[in-house]
Amino acid sequence: MLILLLTSIMLITIDLRGNALLDAARSGFDYAFRPFEVAADVVTQPVERIWVGVTQVDDLRAENEELRRQLDQQRADQISNQNALAENQELRALLNLDSLADLDKVPCTSIGVSASNDLQVVEIDCGSSDGVSEGMPVINQAGLVGRITRVYPETSVVMLITDLSYHVEVKIVSEAEPDDEVGPLSTSPSGFPLDSLPGIADDLSSTTSSSTTTTSPFFVTTTSSTTTTTLPATSTTSGLPGVVPGSGAVPGDITGTPTSSTSSTSTTTTSTLPPVTRETGVLDGYGEGSLPRVRLIDDSVQFGTIRIGDQILTTGGRNSLAPPNIPIGVVANIIDNPGVAGRQFEIQPGADINRLNSLLVLLYQPSTELGGG
Amino acid sequence: MFAAIWHSSLPRVVPLGMAFLAIQKTLFVEIQPFGVIVQVVMAFAAAAGVVGGPERGAITGFVLGLIFDLSTGSPLGSTSIAMGVAGYAAGWLDVIRIDTNWWLAAIFVGVGSGIGEFLVPVIRRFVGEENAFTPDLATVIPVVAVSAAVLSLVLVPTARWALRIEPPVWKTPRE
Repeated sequence: MLILLLTSIMLITIDLRGNALLDAARSGFDYAFRPFEVAADVVTQPVERIWVGVTQVDDLRAENEELRRQLDQQRADQISNQNALAENQELRALLNLDSLADLDKVPCTSIGVSASNDLQVVEIDCGSSDGVSEGMPVINQAGLVGRITRVYPETSVVMLITDLSYHVEVKIVSEAEPDDEVGPLSTSPSGFPLDSLPGIADDLSSTTSSSTTTTSPFFVTTTSSTTTTTLPATSTTSGLPGVVPGSGAVPGDITGTPTSSTSSTSTTTTSTLPPVTRETGVLDGYGEGSLPRVRLIDDSVQFGTIRIGDQILTTGGRNSLAPPNIPIGVVANIIDNPGVAGRQFEIQPGADINRLNSLLVLLYQPSTELGGG
Repeated sequence: MFAAIWHSSLPRVVPLGMAFLAIQKTLFVEIQPFGVIVQVVMAFAAAAGVVGGPERGAITGFVLGLIFDLSTGSPLGSTSIAMGVAGYAAGWLDVIRIDTNWWLAAIFVGVGSGIGEFLVPVIRRFVGEENAFTPDLATVIPVVAVSAAVLSLVLVPTARWALRIEPPVWKTPRE
């Protein structure tokens, strides 16, 4: 028993330091194990179906109803979102800002999940032959899912954001309350038609049509540094809404609600984005059944500005494991820890971690995975 | 050397371990009692201990742990310790009892699996994992232990075949 114990400790040490022989053994085992897994999947599928049919039919019906309702809602939002996305990409291109659209992506499918109660990992059908390597972030339509931790020729292992070992730098984007400070906005000559923002124009709940200025509760300004967008009627170039000169603040987050006011002749438009408060922190996985948490790096931040429902995005940066502005989820709970632990925020991930199917691997190599970083 | 390996229990234990791991990764990922994945491989290691004694249980658990680590990507050897200890602990039944009946075997398989499952976060903590102990451990360990005890009805005879151990022969005393 002692020999086995020492052998195990030696193997752990070698493996944690990184060893090509052990990696090759893993890769070889992956090939050998695949037929067993496929066979077991085929054989056990009827049992799984019976089990799901017996235990989950009511939940599935309710979920189906809810999903249909969400689908209707999202169809309505899709048109306005596509418009906003196109506009955002155009403006980002003008400012030479990095965007997720610039990164190559590899579409993959989840082919297995962890058999352990401790590891939160899934296996995907993309490997080194597809250009995938360790450290690359994995997303789906709803946001960040995890990162690649093991790569084999045809498959890879993804550590989910709920795993105890997962940590990523994030920012909490907190929009100001609509009724914080609302006031009439200045106008400037522009040919930016309000009709080009479908959905947003519909949100203009308090419109004074007879006035020369239209205001809305969604149009929020906090300081006098609100910037005016000037878009010539026949040109595609423009200043970027929300840019505060010299502040370094860039409204790169396309989720921000545009604010605008228009003149009665619809030839004058001012667009500003709502002010956002960004707090930087680190997201830590807390294992299966627990939501990931964000702990703030700076303990002297204005806690009052962070509320339930605020968005969590990756920060990016040289040492970050993911490129900037990948949505992760929203603040679900605020936890007040006594003592020095400080305040933490439980995060409801946007991606349904328990039901992953189609995934995208971003071919983004964090500098920390390049060696020497 | 090859003949020795061929006549050992490895040619049976390894494919069986892979088959049980495949079942664990497919069936028991879907069917999770109380949200816990049933640890079939761990239970098999404990069952090997029950039929083969502490030493053979530890060796079988070590091999099964290596298979598990190779498959899941966890540090190689980390699960080997847990499953080795599970087999070793369950194997004490073979030492303290001569005649093993099914319910006693089930209890020892359950206890061995519970000990092994408890060791998993302990080992993860030793290899530098923060927050390895989660509150749901209080649910995970009993569920893994009870499910292993139930599975022992199948796993104990299977382990007996895998380790090439003859089943106990019950002889009626002559009148």
